[in-house]
Formats: sequence, structure tokens, C-alpha cells
Amino acid sequence: MKPRIGVFVCHCGLNIAATVEVSEVVKAIKDYPGVVHAQDYIYMCSDPGQELVRKAIREKNLTGLVMSNCSPSLHERTFRNLAASEGLNPYLVEVANIREYCSWPHQGDKETATKKALTIIKATIERVKRNQALVPLIVPLQKRVLVLGGGVAGMQTALDIAEGGYPVTILEKEAYLGGRVRQLDRTFISLESAPDLVNEMIDRTLKQPNIEVLTTAQIENLSGYVGNFEVRIRQQIPWVDPDKCNGCEACITACPAEVPSAFDRGLVTRKAIDWTPGERSGDKSIFLDHQVCRRVTHQENCTACQEACKEGAIAYPEDRFIEQTYGAIVVATGHDLYRKSALTEYAEDPDVLDALQFERMLAEDGPTGGKVMRPSDGKVPKEVVFVQCAGSRDPDKHFPYCSKVCCMYTCKEARRYKEKVPDGQAYLFYIDIRSTGKGYEEFVKESVEKERLLYLKGKVSKIARQGDKLLVLGGDTITGVQVEIEADLVVLAMATVPNPGAKELARLLNINTDPYGFIQEAHPKLAPVETLTAGIYLAGTSQAPKDIPHTIYQAGGAASKILSLFSRKELVHEPLVARVDTEICAGCGYCRDNCAFQAVDVDPIRKKAVVNEALCEGCGACATACPSGAIQVKNLDSKQVFDMISIVTQDYSLQP
Amino acid sequence: MSETFEKKALIVGGGVAGIQAALDIADGGYQVILVERTPSIGGHMVQLSEVFPTLDCPQCILTPKMVMCGQHPNIDIKAYCEVESVTGEVGNFTVKIRHKATYVDWDACTGCGQCEQKCPTKAPSEFNRELAFGPRKAIYSPFAQAVPNKRVIDPDHCLKLTKDKCGICAKVCPTQAIRYDQKDWFEEIKVGAIIVATGYELYKKENLTEYATDPDVIDGLEFERILCPSGPTAGVIRRPSDEKEPKEVVFVQCAGSRDPDKHLPYCSRVCCMYCCKMAMLYKHAVPDGQAYIFYIDVRTDGKMYEEFYQRGVEEDRIVYLRGKVSKIFRQGDKIVVFGMDTLTGKRVEVEADLVVLAMAMIPNPAGEKVKKVLNLKTDQFGFITEAHAKLHPVETGIDGIFVAGTAQAPKDIPETVAQAGGAASKVLSLFSGVEKGQEAVLKELTG
Ligand SMILES: Cc1cc2nc3c(=O)[nH]c(=O)nc-3n(C[C@H](O)[C@H](O)[C@H](O)COP(=O)(O)OP(=O)(O)OC[C@H]3O[C@@H](n4cnc5c(N)ncnc54)[C@H](O)[C@@H]3O)c2cc1C
Ligand SMILES: Cc1cc2nc3c(=O)[nH]c(=O)nc-3n(C[C@H](O)[C@H](O)[C@H](O)COP(=O)(O)OP(=O)(O)OC[C@H]3O[C@@H](n4cnc5c(N)ncnc54)[C@H](O)[C@@H]3O)c2cc1C
Ligand code: SF4
Repeated sequence: MKPRIGVFVCHCGLNIAATVEVSEVVKAIKDYPGVVHAQDYIYMCSDPGQELVRKAIREKNLTGLVMSNCSPSLHERTFRNLAASEGLNPYLVEVANIREYCSWPHQGDKETATKKALTIIKATIERVKRNQALVPLIVPLQKRVLVLGGGVAGMQTALDIAEGGYPVTILEKEAYLGGRVRQLDRTFISLESAPDLVNEMIDRTLKQPNIEVLTTAQIENLSGYVGNFEVRIRQQIPWVDPDKCNGCEACITACPAEVPSAFDRGLVTRKAIDWTPGERSGDKSIFLDHQVCRRVTHQENCTACQEACKEGAIAYPEDRFIEQTYGAIVVATGHDLYRKSALTEYAEDPDVLDALQFERMLAEDGPTGGKVMRPSDGKVPKEVVFVQCAGSRDPDKHFPYCSKVCCMYTCKEARRYKEKVPDGQAYLFYIDIRSTGKGYEEFVKESVEKERLLYLKGKVSKIARQGDKLLVLGGDTITGVQVEIEADLVVLAMATVPNPGAKELARLLNINTDPYGFIQEAHPKLAPVETLTAGIYLAGTSQAPKDIPHTIYQAGGAASKILSLFSRKELVHEPLVARVDTEICAGCGYCRDNCAFQAVDVDPIRKKAVVNEALCEGCGACATACPSGAIQVKNLDSKQVFDMISIVTQDYSLQP
Repeated sequence: MSETFEKKALIVGGGVAGIQAALDIADGGYQVILVERTPSIGGHMVQLSEVFPTLDCPQCILTPKMVMCGQHPNIDIKAYCEVESVTGEVGNFTVKIRHKATYVDWDACTGCGQCEQKCPTKAPSEFNRELAFGPRKAIYSPFAQAVPNKRVIDPDHCLKLTKDKCGICAKVCPTQAIRYDQKDWFEEIKVGAIIVATGYELYKKENLTEYATDPDVIDGLEFERILCPSGPTAGVIRRPSDEKEPKEVVFVQCAGSRDPDKHLPYCSRVCCMYCCKMAMLYKHAVPDGQAYIFYIDVRTDGKMYEEFYQRGVEEDRIVYLRGKVSKIFRQGDKIVVFGMDTLTGKRVEVEADLVVLAMAMIPNPAGEKVKKVLNLKTDQFGFITEAHAKLHPVETGIDGIFVAGTAQAPKDIPETVAQAGGAASKVLSLFSGVEKGQEAVLKELTG
């Protein structure tokens, strides 16, 4: 059958039309072989624009469409759906990208751009001529969700999905739920207790019958694809039996391994076997931290605690592995603070704390019972300097980005300090005060007025120990004078960074991170909770620094995507996948070695490559690796690619 | 609780918040009724030129979503409608909806636009912020990509309705859709949950008496329309008074915000970013022009926002001046801006061609009635109060009623979209939980 192709050229307002001579393109393409209809319009994606396309399909009986507009990532789906609604197979529609590939880079050069647009369109027409009508693949859907990280982001996502009636597993690498919020004292702007806030949420999570919580657990391996992720989980079995333990602490005394407590940010030490960090005082239990135990760290056969225990509560079973299939995964692995030691201009001094250390000090359940004191000598500090943007907004030496929460928590911490030490003075160095949430501006104003917080606009250039004091040198950019403060304690609002291990996790999950290691969302506005891997979503500070309210509704956003996904019976996968011509395939396996998605394998008996279509993303890596051209991507086979290249070589008189 | 649980949602307000929530719920398999008071969905986002920090055009990212809403089998858009009253409770709300008279039979209207072309009467366009260079007709659709693509007659300007003259539209309409005698009519619907997404407005320029009321002193949305490639000036930068290209443009941040003594104490959250964006876009359009921004603090705290601001300073050479503007007045062809640079301690005087005021965001006054009939709690400024700022940021404290977007507090598009997703997930869990017959879940949700 002779092709009857329609070409539609969009102005995109002025985005395209200001640079590409749209009417000329239409005129030139009208009589191109195979084209029976050509038309332009100001916004092809709008309702009337789409109606024009529909009408042409109907009236001209089109067999293929070349949509000449913006990138296919924006509107390929729009126009394919449109074709389908008119009974034209959607895979007979291709986009000729004349915006990102043409009008944008050639702004101001109409001649070049118009010529190039024509070439792109002609090449796409050649491609469409050989396109085949395809039918999407149907993939079964396992309606069960895995949430990585049990901070507020992870718990909120899990709660929303569980309330929607689907089973959820939360994997938390620590022994407790709650993440960073569990370490905080109070939260801005209500100043309510952080442990109360997060405990209420933990209670709801543990009571929710659809949620399974696995603590001290991590993901070991992942294979599969949206709807059917095969996950292998490694969980440490507690070495202390809670039913037998009577809390006598004999084991703690006996344990030889003592390290700085991670939960208390190194303000105190803990034994490998000790009270569980982050637990409510009501139900304390003993916890043996495998990461610290000499049996693990030194591969020793230490049994000191087992011997000390009169109740026989301690044993050392191996880790257990769980294998489970999940339909969707949420990454909610949170954040950490940048290392203080990275800021060499600031003294490494026991009285220079990071903001989380100071939170632990303010917290009633912290090592000082909420008393503010200098770590060096236990004295109550009378002059405290808070340094904002420590490592943030510093493109030359550290991170260019803003950590978003430090302005607010610094104000909160200074205010809490003043509540505890009313005759003390708090100084806050800042570049800009970024208090942009609901009621945040008012909170800062009120704190300044009520607690006489002294805000100084400027950067701190040096912190040095001088006898009993810490000398803080800074510039006040408003008065223009150099400020020197003799402080008792310095609190650094260190930049927010992704949790260590985020990069490796991203690699394991096959998702992207941004240059700083935060998980990359698919699009900041259109797909803010999706990753580029279908079925893997994100929530909370693993994506970017943010505060609790923002974390909570982003988590809801991730949950809503999954609830939508699960409302279908099964999944539909793009049919643009690789296909093997078994006549030609020699079973060499180059394709298998080049596939990033583990989608190709070689049948050992028949010695032929086999494609797992559900896994194949149609990237074409296999096709380029194949020595004989036996493996090809549907609707982008080598014949089509060569046809397109010849158009370019003809138009630009190049030697192929 | 009554026995029947209506698994259908009502969304009030068709801005990006309402659109996102509608799509999420509809994709989840439930019916949505999207009520919008203007003739088209889209809200303020479609008025914008390009959006930070990616600088993509809202046409490219929002209109597809609008079209999806228009075509989604689960979404019923009721445009040019308002909510009159609501009774009942979660699972069983009865909502009375007013269909405002459009004077056009929308079932017959194909959106061809012949009427609009032929209509002899011009009126200020709300969509173009009533700028002198962007009037509309008395029969109109607010913008080219409107969804639904239908026309309405403005009864205050139509010659037929005001003076019983003209009647041209009825003559040219190929489908005889014009109905000069149409009246408002009412409809009752039943829904199980409601999301309020009535959005924002800008604080009125006229409230700032220290700044001249001058045609060349405009607010941020007016400048967005001037910058917009599909706007009334086709993206050519002109100032309203004489249509000249302005060479010196001053942006004043915190106009009405962060001013507890005279105006509003809160921070409007998006102005720092959009001023930087508009200054950048202005510089791209007028490379030999100069942009000044007066600020108190530069609050560019989202993902890639700080980097965006750095680019504005380094690549586009935007001059940032820290301080408040004390006075703006006309002097011949120029507008003089008096300010204080608190960093150098010096007084600054800029002779500008155009001044853009980043006016404070306030709750859309058009949302007042809905909030009243739903009995929603608001803060003293009228923003809807969430049940708990941290744990329940999309719940309103009334079961089955949720909030999304700038109706709750000023915020930008990414945050609006995230919050709308959060609200949608609440509705989805509610409906899907009920569907699965989980009594326990239901009890917990409905109390
Ligand atoms: C000093 C300080 C003070 C703050 N004060 C406030 C405040 O007052 N108010 C406010 O709103 N916000 C405040 N914040 C911000 C707040 O802490 C965050 O918004 C919140 O913690 C984000 O939650 P999350 O779940 O995204 O991440 P997190 O709280 O970091 O939780 C992530 C969880 O994932 C786990 N995890 C990490 N990797 C893995 C893995 N590979 N496998 C399994 N589990 C993993 C972690 O152990 C952790 O439990 C403050 C932040 C700091 C640093
Ligand atoms: C000058 C300016 C520039 C900006 N630039 C950017 C930018 O570049 N990037 C960015 O991220 N953000 C930007 N923003 C912010 C952005 O506009 C908002 O985040 C976003 O539009 C909020 O969407 P919304 O749906 O909450 O509200 P709105 O867009 O206000 O939508 C609310 C909708 O509800 C309707 N409505 C109101 N009352 C009723 C009622 N009673 N019944 C029915 N319907 C009703 C309204 O008609 C409207 O359609 C900018 C804001 C301004 C002022
Ligand atoms: S988004 Fe794409 S299709 Fe829509 S107007 Fe822009 S270029 Fe054209």
C-alpha cells in the first residue's frame, strides 16, 4: 500500500516560528513523495490543534503522521493517543523535533534553521514509511510496595498506600523508625516535641495492618521491572531476645567495643551492645549493633556479652534473606549533614558542633538531658555563635546549592538555646534569611523580638581557639565592619547532603542521581516524584533538602502515583523493543553483554539470543553491538536509520 | 456514616493544583468533577511566560495536562461554574453548582471562533491582566488553548445584552449556538470527597500608596503577559504608557510582603525566584537593557534555585540592590525609584523606564464563598488552615475535605504539584480503602 503521510508543523507560539520559516517548510514538504497532507498551526498540542490533526486523519485517510514540533519526550504520547482515538495505529506517528534540535539552537539564523527543519522532517518521513503497526505488551502487576527508608517520608508514603488497601514493606537500615526527625529536639514553627510528633506517626505505622516493617534491613539485590521487581532483602536478626532480656545491663558492662554514638552524633559513646537508640523511654530495649560488634568488625569470636548474660538472651544467628516481588519501589533514604571537618577554615574543636549535635544537646532525651553545655568542660555557654550556610551556597569551595532548612532550624535552635539560657547571647551569621514557608517569616520576626537574637549579615572567615574561648571572625556586610566574637560554643548549620550510600543504592536500582548525589526526579514540574525508571518513585530529602511539611506532601504525591498505578489490572509496556532474527543470529552474546537492562540472554540450547520484552527499554545498544545485524529495534531498524542518514547526506552534500 | 459511599471527587479550582489532583484521581480509576469559575481551566500558570528554574514554557508543560483533563473519561470539567452550597459528610456530600449564563449553548459551540472575530466590541481581558494592549472581545474565550474550547459572552459589554443592538455573533455562528436569553442554572451532584484548590491573587498595587499609580508601574503578572511569546505583545517588551522598549527596568521585591506594619507580615515565597526569572527573560529579549532588583533577602531555596540565581547575576548581569524602595514617582519620561542600599549604606536613585512590583500573594477572593459554605478554617489572611502543619498538611480538619496549592499558602509550581499529589493520594486511599471494604481503615479515616 502506498504511504499517505500527514506532516504537521507547529509554531509553538514563537518558540519555533520566530526562527523556522514555518510556511516555507509546509510549502516545501507538501509535494514530498508519500506526503498527502501538510499543515501548520500555532499550538498543535492545544485542543483546536489536535482537532486539525484528527480531521486530516479522517478526511485524508492518513497512514502515518510526522509531528514536527517539540521534543518527543513532551508530546509524542499526546499525538500517539490522538492517532489511536482516530483508529490509526499510534506507532505510525513519529515526532520530528524542530524545537530543541533546531529552532532553539539556531535562534537568529532563519535560513539555517529552516533548511535544517526540512531535513529533519524529511528524514522522519522516511522513518515513518517503514514503521510498523505495533501492539503494546501486557505485563502482570504485583500490587505490593517496597519503601526504602523509614523516616517521615517513608512512613507517610507507606501509610497512604496501606490505607488504600495495598500491602507495603518498609526497609529501614537502622534499628528504629523516624529517621532524622527522631534525633531532633523540637520542630519549627510550632516548637512541638519532635519525638512526640514522630512517635505518633510510628504508632500509626506499626498499627497499620497492611504495613510490614523490617528494621536493620537493606536491599541486597534487585532485578525485574515495574510491576514485577524481584527483590532480595538482607535483614539482621536481633542478637538479643527481647522476651528473655531483663535489662540488667551486665552485657553492656562486659562489651569491649565502645564507639561514638551515631544517634547522639558522637556527643557520647556507646557499646556495641547497648540501649536501642531512638526508642521511647517507656519501652527501652537492649540492641546489639552488628556494625560495631567485634564479631563483625574484627571477625573475632567474641562472646563477652553472651557469657555475661544470666538469662541466656543472647545468640548470634546469621542474617536472614527475604525474597519478594514488588510492583513498585519508593526511595526515601533521606539525608545527612556535610562533614564539619570539610570546612578547614573552622577549627576542629570539641566546642564547634554541627546542628544535629546541637539538636541532640537540646533534646530532653539526649545525652545531656536537654542541658546546654560545652562538650569541652561542661560549662554553660553564654555566647553562642550560629553559622548558616556552612558548606552551602559556596560554589567555589563546597556546594553551590541552598540547603533550604538551615535558616529555619538555626533560628529555632537559637531560640531554644535562649529559652534554656536566658542570660546568654545568640549571634547568627547569615547571607539571606530564607524563611519562606507558611508562618515562617513571622516565626523569625517573633524570635528576634522575643529572644533578642542578633542576626549578622555576612560570612564567617575564621574560627580559632583562644584559650577558653572560640574566636569567631566575620564580616558584617551591612555595617561594613569586621566583627569579632569571643564565643563559648559555635554551631555550624552544615549543608544537607544525601545519606551515605545513596549513590550505590541508585546504581543498584538503576536510577539517576544529580551532581550532588541526590536522587534525580524525572521532571521538576511534570514528574517530580518519579524517577526515570518506571515503577521507582522518590520522596523526601533523598531528592533534595526540604522540611517536614514539604516532605509529607511529597510522600503523599509518590503514594498517589502508586495508587493510580495499582488501580489498573495489568501494565502496558511500549512495544518498541528489540527483535531477533533467528535465521541470522549466531548466539555470540555481544548483545547480552551490552544490555544495561539485563533484557537479552542467549538460549544455551538453541544458541540464539532471546529478548525479555518486558525488560527491554528499546535503547538499541544490542543492535549496535551485533556483528551481523540480527538484533534490531522495532520501528528503528538499521534500514530506517540508513534511510534517515541518506536524507541528511543528500541535503548537505556530504559523503556518506 | 450513611450506607452509600460516593466514590467520586469534587475539585474546586482548575489551576495547576486542581488539574494535577484531578488527573491523579482520574488515573486512579475514580470520577472527578472539576469546577472552575472562569471559562477555562489553567489558572495563573497559563498566564506565565516561562517558568523557573528550567525556563520551559507553561504552554508546553501545562496545556498537555489541560488537554488530558478535557479528554479524560473520568473527568467532568464544569467551567464557568461555582459552588453554591454543600451539605452532608465524607462519602456523601450534596453539592449545588451554579452554571453561570454563558449566553452560548456549549453543546452546540464548536469553538470555531468566528463570533469572536466578528464581534465589534472590545473589553479589557482578565487573562491579559487588563493591559491596554491586550483587549478581548465581548464574546470570547480567554486564550487560544482554552479547555474547554468554548465561548462566553460578557454581559457587561455585549451590545445586544446592554443595549439590544448588534447581534452579530448570532448571525455568524454556524451552529446557531448563541442564546441571549440564557439564565444561570443550577445542578445538584453527589460526591464523596472534596479538594479545595482555589488558588491565589495578587495584592492590589493601589494599596501601596508610596508607589506611584502609573501605567508604567506594573505587577508581576502584568509583566509575565508582556514577556509571554503568545501574549498581547507577542513577546516584544513594551511599556504600557507609550509602547516603547524599556531600557532600564526596576523590580521591587516584597511589595506588600514582609511588612507587618503597613501591609502583610508573611513572605510570598515565589517572588524572589520569579523576579530573577523575569529579569533574565527581559535581558534575553533586550540584551542592551539593564535590570535592577531591590530585595531584602534573596530566597532561592529550591532544588537548582540557588544555581539559577547565580546564573542571573553572572550571565545576565542583573544588579541586585539590597534594601527597600521608599518612593517611586514619575519625572517626565522616566520613573524615579528611590531606595536605600543597606549594604553600602548609600541612597540609590534609579531612573527607570518600567517598574515591576512583586506584589504579595493573597488567597483568591473568589474562593471566599466556597470556604464559607464548607466551613473551612482559615488564617487571618484567608489561607486555608491545614489540620496539622507537619503531619496532615493537605487535610482541613473536616473529614473528606482536602486542600491543595496556593489556597493553603503561597508556593511555587513544583510544590503545588507535589501538594496536589498529596491531596489526591488522600482521596485515592479513602476511595480504594472503602472499595476494599476495609472497615478498620474506614473507621480510622472517618472517625
Ligand atoms: C539539624 C536539623 C534540624 C531540623 N529541624 C527541622 C524542624 O524543626 N522542622 C522541620 O520541618 N524540619 C527540620 N529538619 C528537616 C527534617 O529533618 C527533614 O525534613 C526530614 O528528616 C526528612 O525526612 P526523610 O524521611 O526524607 O529523611 P530522613 O529523616 O533522613 O530519613 C531517612 C531514613 O532512611 C533510612 N535509610 C537511609 N538509607 C537507607 C537504605 N539504603 N536502606 C534503608 N534505609 C535507609 C535512614 O536510616 C533514615 O531512617 C531539620 C534537619 C536538620 C538537619
Ligand atoms: C508573577 C508570577 C510569576 C510566577 N512564576 C512562577 C514560575 O516561574 N515558576 C513557578 O514554579 N511558579 C511561579 N509562580 C507561582 C505560580 O503561579 C503558582 O505556584 C501556581 O499558579 C499555583 O497554582 P494554584 O492552582 O494553586 O492556583 P491558581 O493558579 O490561582 O488557580 C486557582 C484556580 O481556581 C479558580 N477558582 C478560584 N476560586 C474559585 C471558585 N470559587 N470556584 C471555582 N474555581 C475557582 C481560579 O479561577 C483558578 O483557575 C509565579 C507567580 C506569580 C505571581
Ligand atoms: S509544546 Fe510542542 S506541540 Fe505544543 S506548542 Fe510547543 S512545540 Fe508545539
